[in-house]
Amino acid sequence: MRGLFLASACVCILAVGVICYFLFANGLPFFSQYSVVGFITGTEWAPLRGVFGILPMIVGSFVITLGALLLGAPIGVLTAVMMARFASGRVVRLMKPAVALLAGIPSVVYGFFGLMLLVPFTRNTLGGDGLSILVASVLLAIMILPTIIQTSQAAIEAVPDAYYEGSLALGATHESSVFRAVLPAARSGIISGIVLGVGRAIGETTAVLMVAGNQARLPTSLLKGVRTLTVNVLLEMGYAAELHRESLIATGVVLFIIIMAINFVFSFVNRRRVLQ
Amino acid sequence: MKIRKILALALALTALSAVAMAEFDASKTISVISREEGSGTRGAFLELTGILAKDAQGVEVDHTYAEAIISNGTNLVLTTVAGNDAAIGYASLSSVLHNDTVKALKVEGVEATTENILNGTYRIARPFNAVTRGELTDPLAVDFMQFVLSKEGQAIVMEDGLVSDVNNETPSYTAANLAGSLTVGGSTSVAPVMELLAEAYMEYNPDAVIEVQSTGSSAGVTGALDGTYDIGMASRALKDSEMEKGAEAIVIGTDGIAVVVNLNNPVEDITVEQVRQVFTGEVAVWADLAR
Repeated sequence: MRGLFLASACVCILAVGVICYFLFANGLPFFSQYSVVGFITGTEWAPLRGVFGILPMIVGSFVITLGALLLGAPIGVLTAVMMARFASGRVVRLMKPAVALLAGIPSVVYGFFGLMLLVPFTRNTLGGDGLSILVASVLLAIMILPTIIQTSQAAIEAVPDAYYEGSLALGATHESSVFRAVLPAARSGIISGIVLGVGRAIGETTAVLMVAGNQARLPTSLLKGVRTLTVNVLLEMGYAAELHRESLIATGVVLFIIIMAINFVFSFVNRRRVLQ
Repeated sequence: MKIRKILALALALTALSAVAMAEFDASKTISVISREEGSGTRGAFLELTGILAKDAQGVEVDHTYAEAIISNGTNLVLTTVAGNDAAIGYASLSSVLHNDTVKALKVEGVEATTENILNGTYRIARPFNAVTRGELTDPLAVDFMQFVLSKEGQAIVMEDGLVSDVNNETPSYTAANLAGSLTVGGSTSVAPVMELLAEAYMEYNPDAVIEVQSTGSSAGVTGALDGTYDIGMASRALKDSEMEKGAEAIVIGTDGIAVVVNLNNPVEDITVEQVRQVFTGEVAVWADLAR
């Protein structure tokens, strides 16, 4: 039995290892032909002419993820608070499957929803093409909600009732007990939920590709389109050859490093908070 | 009460935008929709319309508008154009012919149809040529070309989005069961369909091996002339200088590209120069597009 557990764990570790190896083995040779600095800080992307600058895509990934976070995190956390501490049992029984359903919708469906509904709405009310940073952020915010809600809710429900009751006993209201005693205690779990959401947002590809416009230049407004790192890879992988193809794998390497950095920073911050 | 007010407002806004949609607004900025770098359709379109132009140093530069929306597939281009009044895009003709969600513009007054592409009047089109040095003599090469031009071969060509003048008189192919090997090389645009043809041919003739190399049209013609390739591939008409050296072209299909706009757009006709201006961002508003 123990062997089975070990084997399962090994599959997981092996997958991570193989992916890392593949990514770096295929992506790093690109940098022997193109400078790392030129790649990361270059603002022009013209692969057929041999110019590979991915700064617009790095900025694009960050801007869209930040937008999704600003919209999604408060809504997600407050929904989790509502489900854990405010809503009646019947409402929660209705909401739980709804949130789970939201998590199960394939990203291409989200993309189609964005393209058919959010894009024309934005175009008709705010102007521009509609395919924009704004729509991509709103769509991603919806997509990361279930992750944030489910993780945060579990974290809030895991806080011992004594915290809440103690606060009530000291004369605090229901609201302030929840927000000042329960929430801070659940902070670490909530932050993990948000980090998972960030990971999902920065890694999302198909839905973003459909609504972001995908222009490979630095954006100047929220109503303009943008290209993210993930989209850059998916968009051009089909026809790319030789150095162009290697540049796309190298794009993947940069994305991988960024995601690892984010996870590292958050877990570091989180650990320090817990220690305090 | 408040909620009801907001709902009413939202309803009014939707109604308003519905009215606005019925009337085409020519003061709108053109939403230019292009394909991703590396796409064959994009490459052909840029070349045929002059968006890809040589600079002073002779380097080919892509002048596509930086604000152009990039879609990674014909269907996404068509969906985007169908959903946006102010959009303009392009797609291979075969994908547009049976699509009534978008409108294909006339180019220089010529409608984008199979006939007009075959008779050469539609401008945004290019032949996919098989290039040989004089008459083919190698029996395997002769048989392979017979297959390419047969009903079965042309079916593959059309499946791949090209225009073909196949008709009832086009002969069917019967396998000759030849053995040997053949090298076909040249245009990177022709190579994908040639690979499909080679695969199908090798199913008919299991002992034959056909290798397809994608190097470029000029390399394809040179290769056919100097014997590197048994058959060359070129995605353009032969130059006079090449024909003088004995190169001959056999058209295996024609690649036509339609310029598409939204059904609400009143524009019917566009010139190649206007296409270039729109896709390079020189003309940004529909009203500025001189009719």
